Amino acid sequence: MSYHQATYDERLLNEFRSGSTFKIPGDGSAAEKLLPSGMARKELPLPSLAEYDAVRHFTRLSQMNYSVDLGIYPLGSCTMKYNPKYADKIVSMEQFAEMHPLQPDYSVQGSLRIMYELQEYLKKISDMDAVTLQPLAGAHGEFTGILIVRKYLEDTGQLDMRREIIVPDSAHGTNPASAAMGGFNVVEVPSDSTGMVDIDALRSALSEKTAALMITNPSTLGLFERNVVQIAKLVHDAGALLYYDGANFNAILGITSPGIMGFDIVHFNLHKTFATPHGGGGPGAGPVAVKKRLEKYLPIPRIGFDGKRYFEDFSSDKSVGRVSPYYGAFGVLLRAWAYITYHGSDGLEANSRKAVLNTNYVSRRLSEYLSDPYGGVKKHEVVLSSSNTGERALDIAKYLIDNGVHAPTIYFPLIVKEALMIEPTETVNRDDLDAFCDAVIGSLKAGHEDLHQRPVNLSVGRIDEIKAARDQILTWSAIKK
Amino acid sequence: MDFIGIKSDEELFSDIPSSIRKKGIPISRGISEYEVMRLAEEIGSANTGYNYANFMGCGIYDRIIPSAVDSVIGRSEFITSYTPYQAEFSQGMLQSLFEYQSLISDLTGMDMTNSSIYDGATALGEAVRMAHRINEKTEILVPENLYRSKMDVIHSYSSGLNLKFISYSFEKKTGYIDLEDLASKISANTSAIICENPNSFGVIDPNVMKVQEIKGEALLITYVDPVSLGVVVPPGSYGADISVSEGQQLGIHREFGGPLLGLFSFRKEYLRKSPGRIIGLTSDSKGKRAFVMTIQTREQHIRREKATSNICTNQALMALASAVYLSIVGPEGIRKIANVTISQAKKLKDAVSSVRGYDAKFLSGTSFSDVLVRMPGDPADIQRALFEKGILGPIPSSSLFPNLEAFAKSGFFSVTEKTSDGNIRFLADSLGAIQ
Ligand SMILES: Cc1ncc(COP(=O)(O)O)c(C=O)c1O
Repeated sequence: MSYHQATYDERLLNEFRSGSTFKIPGDGSAAEKLLPSGMARKELPLPSLAEYDAVRHFTRLSQMNYSVDLGIYPLGSCTMKYNPKYADKIVSMEQFAEMHPLQPDYSVQGSLRIMYELQEYLKKISDMDAVTLQPLAGAHGEFTGILIVRKYLEDTGQLDMRREIIVPDSAHGTNPASAAMGGFNVVEVPSDSTGMVDIDALRSALSEKTAALMITNPSTLGLFERNVVQIAKLVHDAGALLYYDGANFNAILGITSPGIMGFDIVHFNLHKTFATPHGGGGPGAGPVAVKKRLEKYLPIPRIGFDGKRYFEDFSSDKSVGRVSPYYGAFGVLLRAWAYITYHGSDGLEANSRKAVLNTNYVSRRLSEYLSDPYGGVKKHEVVLSSSNTGERALDIAKYLIDNGVHAPTIYFPLIVKEALMIEPTETVNRDDLDAFCDAVIGSLKAGHEDLHQRPVNLSVGRIDEIKAARDQILTWSAIKK
Repeated sequence: MDFIGIKSDEELFSDIPSSIRKKGIPISRGISEYEVMRLAEEIGSANTGYNYANFMGCGIYDRIIPSAVDSVIGRSEFITSYTPYQAEFSQGMLQSLFEYQSLISDLTGMDMTNSSIYDGATALGEAVRMAHRINEKTEILVPENLYRSKMDVIHSYSSGLNLKFISYSFEKKTGYIDLEDLASKISANTSAIICENPNSFGVIDPNVMKVQEIKGEALLITYVDPVSLGVVVPPGSYGADISVSEGQQLGIHREFGGPLLGLFSFRKEYLRKSPGRIIGLTSDSKGKRAFVMTIQTREQHIRREKATSNICTNQALMALASAVYLSIVGPEGIRKIANVTISQAKKLKDAVSSVRGYDAKFLSGTSFSDVLVRMPGDPADIQRALFEKGILGPIPSSSLFPNLEAFAKSGFFSVTEKTSDGNIRFLADSLGAIQ
């Protein structure tokens, strides 16, 4: 094994002394007298370094950071697929990058058209009736969906009664957190032994108090919820709404859709399914789509088109209002538009099929070594458990990164012990899938001791997380000299 | 397929009932990269104004961005990575975000800063929720002139809580906080007071420094312009408990309003009540300095419905951009940028006020970037007439604070360090010519 990550003993920015080289034109000397008395800042303790030092600093740091452009990044639930470079070019075109969000409609017809077309794309992909692009990430989309649930209940006089939102125990943490943020009580339902929502438990959880059920399909176990039609009927018969967490859309493009399954509200994660770069943690975008009867509650403005011009549509007086101040993360929306336009109907569906094929390949190879708690065909990801091996998922993860491949998501979903949640995506070749599987298998042969001392090939060794939480050093000023 | 033992990939979808199968997506088929780029260019050509003399600001500004910012954040090691769940593999992003937290804490004079919230408005929404978590009180005092869009976002953010928003007024002459009115509205139920500096009139407000004397037990939430902090006293020095900002000005392109950056800082005693991801310094098994996400027991993946926020994906790349920006600009640079901004605002005030019918001095306070101007006609008409001359602006006040009818015939012209004297003259001449 010859992998080695670049390693620097990189100083902190405030340990550089070269002095700033930055210049701007203009003369600000008149400003001092203009400041109201007592308002002038005396000390400004920022580091002062030359641009060449700053660039070298961040370039060295970048070399201590694994990324999709370096190889497989099978982080389950995150859809870390290749991010096309044409989208980088398009977002940096000045006719998009240098637009002010409060420019008048007549000057922004291009940007509005992009957003209108994206709304239309998302409707056709999801078989829903109306879309808002305003939410800024998946969790923000969930929260927007919850606000729509609230507004619908308020409008129909049911808000006082329907106070509960049901989520399965396999749900992503943002689902219960978003429901609680919207003021609802969260009721958890268990999964059955095949990983499906336990129908009997759902039946007894549903009542006249239920506001909505939030589910992810395929679930966070990478399994398609076979009973989804029955679930939709149960929920609707109980007078509640059905929410679809679209984080896992990459499994079903062109194959099925939340609209057909009977969902009322859906959010998309454009940074997952539509390949906008994850940026080291963000930005993302989390558009929300709804069925006709909920359209009037969507945030305003949405983007309309009257056959000639595109416009901001503020017409609904039942709207939940705004969840962000402008149109949403336009740069992310533009990238997603470019991705969908490039791949088209044929490419999107082919991508989903390949992603599912890749997952099943990995699943087949690795289930000989790790336990597969639910069996069956997988969708976009597979969740395996290392509890049969005596090794912890954490240690396996450290072995993998030490060998230059990113680890799966670990310890999620919470209902699988020692979970390894693997989502290869469609943008990995067969050799790299094999290399990943070989590394997982290698970790199981390495032995306890070897695993525990890893990583040794990276810029740092195993990190002490407990010390971080205890010391609470969150800025350089908190470092004891 | 052979290996998995299937003949067709259809078999992998046998678990999806045929009644809910979709027959393809009814959109056009894929095209080549070359065609996508041409199409984007063609659609983009319907956008105009980006190369005009620009006077639009009010929250989103056209500032000088050193080329190195785009070059660093465009490095694929950063832009194509994700949340640093595997810390040992991701020290680059972790250290950068730790530096971001440090830079923003230094700039705002606050103890701690999280590693980002979506944007300034949602950061304000999170701040209101955090204040309520801290003291469980229910009244939030807000400036009467807070932009409607921000108010709408905090309303959304607090819809699950039973909060009451009470507005306080401003002095008619200066545009400053009316301290007497504010004091009269503070009560035992006040959870927090929101103060802006510069405020929504664009005015640098010395009265924010006096709020700490009258606030009693209420928390102080400040919404500040980060560039102004190059020369204006920071919120940490006048008693802010939570300070938030829109960080777009720190090296991020306007991009039609997104992605943006929410700066979120607070006093250290409130750490456990705070939202968002936080990076901490620690060491590795050999004692070497290392960074890791920490204090995660507040977050959704652990606390689920009891989390302090639902935020997961944040604005890490934008936070990186602002860290690169601040490291290149440095303390002298940010000072000069702020000073030039104030000087150009003054020049614009003088120039515009010299045009008949326009008054940019009816508020006596010092403007930072945004200059509020009374106009002889409908600001939207003036905007259109100026647009035809190659000028972007004004932003009508009615679109920002529609509740204040006295400002129906006013609007903002904004400046930055990019605004040249020549463009200020061009604006004044054009205003004269369109009468
Ligand atoms: C299943 C699921 N739902 C929701 C989310 C939240 O999305 P975001 O991180 O964009 O807020 C995620 C993200 O990881 C997810 O995997």
